[in-house]
Amino acid sequence: MSDTVRDMVRVTDPIERISHWLLAGSCLFCLFTGLGFMFRTWGFIPSLLGGLYALKWMHIFSGVVFGFALVHAYTMWRKDCAFEPDDAQWIKQGGGYLWKTSSLPPVYKYNAGQKLFFWFVVVFGVLIVLTGLVMWNPLAFPVAVARWSYALHALSALVIGSFFVVHLYLGTIGNPGTFQAMTTGWCSRAWCETHCPRWLADHYKKPE
Amino acid sequence: MKKTEYIKLIDTTRCTACRGCQVACKQWNEMPASRTRNFGSYQNPPDLQWNTWTLIRFQEYADKNGDFKWLFRKDGCMHCTEAACIKVCPSGALYHTDYGTVALNRSACIGCKACVSACPFDIPRYNQATDKIYKCDLCYTRLHEGQKPACVLSCPTGAITIGEKKAMIEAAYNRVDKLDGKATVYGDKFVGGTHVMYILSENPAAYDKLPSNPKVPASVILWKNLFKPFTLIGMGAVAGMAALHYLIKGPHEVHEKKEGGEHDV
Repeated sequence: MSDTVRDMVRVTDPIERISHWLLAGSCLFCLFTGLGFMFRTWGFIPSLLGGLYALKWMHIFSGVVFGFALVHAYTMWRKDCAFEPDDAQWIKQGGGYLWKTSSLPPVYKYNAGQKLFFWFVVVFGVLIVLTGLVMWNPLAFPVAVARWSYALHALSALVIGSFFVVHLYLGTIGNPGTFQAMTTGWCSRAWCETHCPRWLADHYKKPE
Repeated sequence: MKKTEYIKLIDTTRCTACRGCQVACKQWNEMPASRTRNFGSYQNPPDLQWNTWTLIRFQEYADKNGDFKWLFRKDGCMHCTEAACIKVCPSGALYHTDYGTVALNRSACIGCKACVSACPFDIPRYNQATDKIYKCDLCYTRLHEGQKPACVLSCPTGAITIGEKKAMIEAAYNRVDKLDGKATVYGDKFVGGTHVMYILSENPAAYDKLPSNPKVPASVILWKNLFKPFTLIGMGAVAGMAALHYLIKGPHEVHEKKEGGEHDV
């Protein structure tokens, strides 16, 4: 089988990785430029990118990219991220990350924490895109809609920004061997047995 | 150094709606006129525009007894002390001057339009052609040179006056005492006090487009006083917790699954 070579297993396909980085890149760029609007004293952000007016259009453009990437990521991952009964147990045990716990229910492709992250990004991503569209032309909307869009846009940025930090930690140094799932797409069989045992058993047979 | 705070007082009981202030404002600020259509009122243009920073509103009003009155009100920026527009402006284009008024550095404005919906008085206007915001700055350059704002100078009846804050508030209440019961002072009791005040001949609620109890919108307070600081607090706290997790619990290492199936985490 071409998706396993010696001890390595292909866990993501190129489309998944491109979609992920489009989403992540536009999200991070929006976060960075957005902080430039939020904190007037952080003048280094607009000065790096050609001033606050340029920043406005970069933020809008990046936001549009984020919107399309979000729709793609949603259609691609929603089935993998649908909750199942075992997820409650996984959450109760803190995913084994926070305290000593007995063995966790075996995970399929994504664990309950990853699924939660996905759904938070979908919900607050949709919210931040829709409110962003209102903020692009607030004069076309009733004043109450425009006013609350600004507040909800900031709230969504707070939520996505905080979850991004968790995602960054758990996707890199917090879980050694994970990051390559989003670079080469190949992870070790041992990694798969730890993180997605049921998916591994379903898709790949042990090498002879 | 903080200079004297000024208040411009508009006595609607003395206003004849000659619109001299409207014209003087356009002249001093070099704002062109826009072609308008007659919609059955002397009010012209129909509303504030990017090029019309002050406007006499003509309102036909009948009170509870059915007495008809024609109400005139010079609309324009109220120059709030707690100015929602300044609170939301990302560029610092909107700012408080030494006189307590709200001025606009148009070259810094990026046309984000956040101030338009934040304003409790619906004052800032957007010009698509320049992608910028426009509004009254109470003739900042004139104040700076010890001159009265153009509208004050033009007023033939003395309905618009300007002076030091304390004296003007006092003058407003003295004037209302001399008027009949309905007359009220408007401006000193909300948004930290405005730097444009009215003497209204009727209850504030009688006037079109004049909020009886204007305030910085709750959405703006949530946005700027809660969500804004918590963006950094939230991200910082999570980053701190991740670092502590790494140091205390350590990374989640991968283990080969042993035969017999005990899964170590």
